[in-house]
Amino acid sequence: MSTQYSILFKQEHAHDDAIWTAAWGRSEADGSDTIVTGSLDDMVKVWKWSDEKLELQWSLEGHQLGVVSVDISHNGAIAASSSLDAHIRLWDLDSGKQIKSMDAGPVDAWSVAFSPDSKHIATGSHLGKVNIFGVESGKKEYSLDTRGKFILSIAYSPDGKYLASGAIDGIINIFDIATGKLLHTLEGHAMPIRSLTFSPDSQLLVTASDDGYIKIYDVQHAELAGTLSGHASWVLSVAFSPDHAHFVSSSSDKSVKVWDTNSRVCVNTFFDHQDQVWSVKYNNTGSKIISAGDDRAIHIYDCPM
Amino acid sequence: MASFGWKRKVGERVSKSTLRGFEAEADRTGDRAAPPGEEDQVEDQVDREEDQVDWLQAIKRRRGVLREDCAARSGRLKGEGALLAEAGRHWEAIKKWDEAIQLTPENALLYEMKSQVLTILQEVFPAVKAAEMAVKLKPMWWEGWQTLGRAQLSLGEVDLAVRSFQVAVHLCPSDVTLREKDLAWAQKLQRQQRAAREKTREEEEAERLVLDAPELRRDYDDFESDEVLEACAAVAERQRRLEELRRTTVVLDADGNVRTVVAGVEGAGAASASQEQLVKARGL
Repeated sequence: MSTQYSILFKQEHAHDDAIWTAAWGRSEADGSDTIVTGSLDDMVKVWKWSDEKLELQWSLEGHQLGVVSVDISHNGAIAASSSLDAHIRLWDLDSGKQIKSMDAGPVDAWSVAFSPDSKHIATGSHLGKVNIFGVESGKKEYSLDTRGKFILSIAYSPDGKYLASGAIDGIINIFDIATGKLLHTLEGHAMPIRSLTFSPDSQLLVTASDDGYIKIYDVQHAELAGTLSGHASWVLSVAFSPDHAHFVSSSSDKSVKVWDTNSRVCVNTFFDHQDQVWSVKYNNTGSKIISAGDDRAIHIYDCPM
Repeated sequence: MASFGWKRKVGERVSKSTLRGFEAEADRTGDRAAPPGEEDQVEDQVDREEDQVDWLQAIKRRRGVLREDCAARSGRLKGEGALLAEAGRHWEAIKKWDEAIQLTPENALLYEMKSQVLTILQEVFPAVKAAEMAVKLKPMWWEGWQTLGRAQLSLGEVDLAVRSFQVAVHLCPSDVTLREKDLAWAQKLQRQQRAAREKTREEEEAERLVLDAPELRRDYDDFESDEVLEACAAVAERQRRLEELRRTTVVLDADGNVRTVVAGVEGAGAASASQEQLVKARGL
């Protein structure tokens, strides 16, 4: 257990080109930490994090174009990836085999997110529809319509009640999953929202935008609870710590920032990447942060607990 | 003794227009400037001037004015260039933009517009260079990547173009032209190029087998035997295969699938790229 923020590990040249997305999962079967990354080099790579270092477990081929988004199911058994080739693929993390390939339609696969019960995968589409695919069926089961613009980012609330989407025009939509109703439409930002995340108690929603700001919303009242500035350029990714006390953001200004949820101040800035940082995530305990970006490197940071 | 003078520093790296600016400036302040070669006098002069003016402030102020001035002039030149490009006077437009680049070398838009025009002029390599400069200066600007991709495509660098278009789509996924025209088209060409490469390899392999047939490596005792007939048939079969390979060519059908067809018949349709000849003016 460390007492201060520090960089723990760097995997240089983790892919042959820019890394656009990363996810951190934990296998229920053996308790091991699994990291999945997706890159402009068309590859999805699966890494094991053990003994404070990364080991490449699988290089998954199949996508014809760059991989935009990856997510890991909550039991840590399946990974989902979406690519510019408009396909969503499901991978068995144990065997490294492809389970399913779903054609989402010409421009209908961007961010992918597993539902809390891991039975569905949500993805945004260009006409402002959130399409929900069944993991078992491998088919589109239903969709939620925001009647808005291209949806760049998607997040399920951990309690399974809400689904939030962020659009290219900066509009945030929050749906009630049980009824499929659109609960709130928030004019959050004036520019694309590339990432959003719920707090572990599902009460707060944090959004990241090209306008350089991070906003915090109270989900129940659909009220803006705070606007954070600090990044010098687009904010590309945000993720909440499981301890609720912190969240992390990454930006095209090459930095990774850790924020205190209550005081809303930046408590640490990592300036270790050489280029834009596209993705940032916490592990399941909040003791580590992973970041990856255009410099093809994966970084793991230690967080004080 | 070597004399000191600013003019000595004016080398090839200073543009003519800037040089003229220097000279004009020198003329204005000429009366006060010390003649080169007499260092004592220069020192005297500096001493005298220091008494009169706060140089540090003056230089800062002057720098600020200069920068604003450069930006304004560069902006004007950019606009003039855009008008010239629209009128089809491409080389003149490039000249204007080059002047503007000298004033504001960090302005990505200038390189990007220059790249578009260079691509139209079929100056493919300089076009790629200019667009590369644009994306280096402004890496999150998707239109810069689109222009780079188009320039790379003109240069025949299909793989690089596919990459640039992907970066552009990733930055701006909602642009339909970018996704459905640029990226899809570059991917089509990529498939075609790969198929063509594969075919060349096959052809070479077939040729090698004809020239160096395994059946001819051994001696035959009886020239009338079935063995010899079989060997001849095999060689003839290979010859036929090679000729067939040479007669066919790789094309793409309307759905973008790679097909091999006999040369001379249909199939040239795939090569008709709808080249957009209009230059997009940036940030005017």
